[in-house]
Amino acid sequence: MTGSLAAYQSLLDLVLLNCGLALSQFVVLRAGVFSVATAGLASIGAYAAGIATLRWGAGAAVGLLAATAAGMLTALLLSLPLARLRGVYQAIATVAMVQIVLSLALYATDVTGGANGLNGVPKLVGTPELAILVLAMVYVLHSLGRSRIGYAFDAIRQDETVAVTLGVSVAGYQALAFGLSGAIAGLTGGLMAYHNRSVVPEEFGFGMLVTVLAYVVLGGRRSVLGPLVGALILSLLPELARPLADNRLIVHGAVLMLVITYLPHGIVDSLQIAIRRRATAASRAQIVGKEAPDGPA
Amino acid sequence: MARLDLERVSRHFFGVEALKGLTMSVLPGRVTGLIGPNGAGKTTVVNLITGLLKLTEGRIRLEGEDISELPPHAVARLGVARTFQNIRLLHEASVVENIVAGFHTSDHTSLPAQALGLASVRRVRAGLVQRARELLAEFAMEEYAECLAGELSYGHQRRVEIMRALALAPSVLLLDEPAAGMSDGEADELGAIFRRLADRGLALLVIEHNMRLVMSLCDEMYVLDSGELICSGAPERVRSDPRVIEAYLGGEAC
Repeated sequence: MTGSLAAYQSLLDLVLLNCGLALSQFVVLRAGVFSVATAGLASIGAYAAGIATLRWGAGAAVGLLAATAAGMLTALLLSLPLARLRGVYQAIATVAMVQIVLSLALYATDVTGGANGLNGVPKLVGTPELAILVLAMVYVLHSLGRSRIGYAFDAIRQDETVAVTLGVSVAGYQALAFGLSGAIAGLTGGLMAYHNRSVVPEEFGFGMLVTVLAYVVLGGRRSVLGPLVGALILSLLPELARPLADNRLIVHGAVLMLVITYLPHGIVDSLQIAIRRRATAASRAQIVGKEAPDGPA
Repeated sequence: MARLDLERVSRHFFGVEALKGLTMSVLPGRVTGLIGPNGAGKTTVVNLITGLLKLTEGRIRLEGEDISELPPHAVARLGVARTFQNIRLLHEASVVENIVAGFHTSDHTSLPAQALGLASVRRVRAGLVQRARELLAEFAMEEYAECLAGELSYGHQRRVEIMRALALAPSVLLLDEPAAGMSDGEADELGAIFRRLADRGLALLVIEHNMRLVMSLCDEMYVLDSGELICSGAPERVRSDPRVIEAYLGGEAC
């Protein structure tokens, strides 16, 4: 009984951590930046928190603050060269960044512990801390999404030229999105270090990059609910498909392919678009109804 | 209200002179027309003024201040708004959201207030939506507020784009072929709107192929051909200028 409860709890923790990573990926995509740097930024956050505690005996609060700051500063620095690139070139540059961070983690043995990673990190966060911090991230992103910043992100994503002619500083807002993404990734990385009691360099590699991107592709990138739904489904799917044993990855891939083919905007966005279409169809019917008595001009 | 002055403005594209030493003024309270055959460089002029393109030579001044080196969002913030030849609305957004996007520069809520989702942020947003609805009412389009922008007819989409530009509270409004694809009746309605805006003190620059509209609407006209100014002045003068007739008829005859 307690055994199965503990299993559910660790699954909940996993979902919460994946939600944090998904939110980081979501922010940049919403603002029209095709960055996949989240894995690299989370790695930097995890090492920052781990090293702060192991070397200098920092507590959870200081360690997580260091992780958040490290992620954000790296992202802001990275946003300078990235502002000159667009679309798929941003993606390629950030894939390279993730690989560079991984290489540094593996070869800067004195600082990072090399291939062994960091071990013996004390367990400083449990489910309540994870839940509170992830909820705080969701709240902040939700609030920003419904304010000037969120609407500026939306305008940039849909048409950059229109956005600048309306007075939106594209470079400024994309740097902001990138900084936010870095802060969230860094914080989540720090939480992973304190939760898993270790930092494993390979965990933050190409695999994580693809998985985190899949969360947002599956869920959607317009509202904060999208990445949460995506992370929830893709974190639970392997557990639900456990009876399929070795075929789990096939199910994983099939679900993604189905969603990309039939719901190209992601589950949440596609639903919202459908609801909206129905609402505007109703208001169009009203307009037609009003115009009809006059007959054609 | 501000005047816009172009001083010997040139733009080369890899050796091709798209615009050669254009000097012109767009004055407040007046409608200035910019006409010329296709490829004459009209849209280049608008892109240069709004900062989307950099000048090769020359100066652009807004109320005497040099704006030629400013990035496009800074030019917009000084009150220079535009519409696009091929309508560019935000297609995922509703009509009212498109216009609210134009109010970007009048929302001054701070970053912390936005991150914390304070009530003041929601109040400011509600106020902007209200102002967008007032604009829609002025253009007799209130009932389309919640429609997706892409679902509207061509003429209505053009109007939404003009409203979005007006949301910037501009002192200079640049209109790139606003009546393209419209019927004469729709074009006349649009002309009446432009006249009203000019009467309020706006400086309007209109690029247009609809000669009937341009001749009846504009106070002053500039005619470009292959990047060169070939004639300027009152519509009557431009209409009878032999070089203008040559540029238009010559072009069509070939």
